[in-house]
Amino acid sequence: MSAEVLVVEGLTVYRDAYVAVQDVSFSLEVGTDTAIVGPNGAGKSTLIQAILGILPRQSGDVFWLGHSLSRRGALNARVRQQIAYLPQNFLFDRRIPITVNELVALGWDDLGPKLPWANQKQRRLAVRQALERVDALHLGSQPISRLSGGETKRALLAYCLVRPRRLLILDEASAGLDVRGESDFYQLIYQLKQEQGWAILQISHDLDMVRKHCDRVLCLNRLLRCQGTPDYALSPDNLVSVYGSEFVRYRHQH
Amino acid sequence: MGLRCTVYGTRPEPPPRKPYTVHRTPLSPMLSDFTRVIELFQLPFMQRALMGGILTGLMGGLLGSFTILRQLSFFSDALGHSALLGISLGLLLGMSPSSVLLPFAVLFALGVTYLLERTRLWTDALLNIVYSSSLAIGVILLTFVGQYKGGINSILFGDILAVRQGDLIVSTVLLVVCVVFVGLTLRSQILLTLHEPLAIASGIAASAHRTAFIVLLALVVGASIKAIGVLLISAFVVIPACAARLLSRTFTGYVMLSAVLGALGAVLGMVFSAMLNLPSGPAIVTMQLAIFLVAIVVPRTRLTAV
Repeated sequence: MSAEVLVVEGLTVYRDAYVAVQDVSFSLEVGTDTAIVGPNGAGKSTLIQAILGILPRQSGDVFWLGHSLSRRGALNARVRQQIAYLPQNFLFDRRIPITVNELVALGWDDLGPKLPWANQKQRRLAVRQALERVDALHLGSQPISRLSGGETKRALLAYCLVRPRRLLILDEASAGLDVRGESDFYQLIYQLKQEQGWAILQISHDLDMVRKHCDRVLCLNRLLRCQGTPDYALSPDNLVSVYGSEFVRYRHQH
Repeated sequence: MGLRCTVYGTRPEPPPRKPYTVHRTPLSPMLSDFTRVIELFQLPFMQRALMGGILTGLMGGLLGSFTILRQLSFFSDALGHSALLGISLGLLLGMSPSSVLLPFAVLFALGVTYLLERTRLWTDALLNIVYSSSLAIGVILLTFVGQYKGGINSILFGDILAVRQGDLIVSTVLLVVCVVFVGLTLRSQILLTLHEPLAIASGIAASAHRTAFIVLLALVVGASIKAIGVLLISAFVVIPACAARLLSRTFTGYVMLSAVLGALGAVLGMVFSAMLNLPSGPAIVTMQLAIFLVAIVVPRTRLTAV
């Protein structure tokens, strides 16, 4: 099997009438941590949603672990299970009655038709182990509506962890956390990355965090402006081409 | 509609008794009401009505639990109101309402879904257009039909006492379909309700599921219109589910409780209707409201400690 978890070739995505993402190509290797950076409206979330099949794409090809994502967003179910996705601002409706145990269990199941009580024992065990690893076992029977921001993120990480995965996709995963919560969250993520051998693809606004942790950076502003190591991709010249000169002057003053 | 039926002479064993009016003495009104209710429920049409109520309550509660969380309550309301158009179209074409309602409801639901996806208007505004205009056109069409034997009242508020064997069979089959569908796809349904992009990223065919659910909801509404009426049908979908939401912590428990409360509301409502000689559809909805009000009060005293 190739060392690439994900290959994207010439991806173009329209949102309504405008081009949100144009002719983007890149690939992700096993066990690496790649950040997508770029200003608001640069198409970062659109890119991620298109490679997951949530949004339709205009043209281009997407291969997950060597399997092609169909035009209509269909992908081999076994491949799907190896990808975990944490959407931006996971703002589910807090009026929905569901406990942390139930939420995490949803990540464990393959979603074909089956009896609700099938594999109950294995599911419970997997949920327990996942919650243990994110230090949230005590939250299991809590309804989600009662969780704090940090607890919610841990529950969602348990949802990702409950089944072995190859790749974790984070869309501004730390949004909504305070400084302390954010640093705890990333510490947990990188600890789990070590343990699980995950590759990570994340959207981030925190360029310092990106410099510290990521192996590769994709600078996106509709087009892929540059990609490479953080030192190269986040050099002042490249930042100007992605964010515009105003932003870079601002960052140098502070 | 209502229970204004004469019960004299319909009881199987005839011990000589005074007429019913005499039972309503100030001495034991409760007891006489109770025996009267027992006697009423020995009549086949009352048993069918009770069965029909329970089946509708179970289906409404089951699908309603997802309907309210997906913010489709108003959709079920619009579907119910527009059934009037289906009924009058059927009458105009000389077909019986029962045979028209199911296909009409499904086609209508799919059409409205298409419209909602096509236009960029607010869902509630668009649904308002859909249901008020179909009510209007339906009423105009009815004027061409002439005298409908059930009368407009029975279309608006239903006639649960006119439920026939065939209606019960349709409802039973539909209930089985609902239970099997929701049961086998429960986890996909939960994930879709919780967060649709996440569900798609996990490989769930969201639009196929959405269509399947809406078709099922339309069938349930269509099958229940005759008994409950176009105005009150959405209560069966919304009220038990809201009451169950107030009393539940887990999702699975919530779905099951919603169905159970739907059935409970139907049973209590039928008894209430028989006792006080009230029209049965409104009586059931009133009992659903009572259950909902109890559910508002209960968690503060008991469940918050859990």
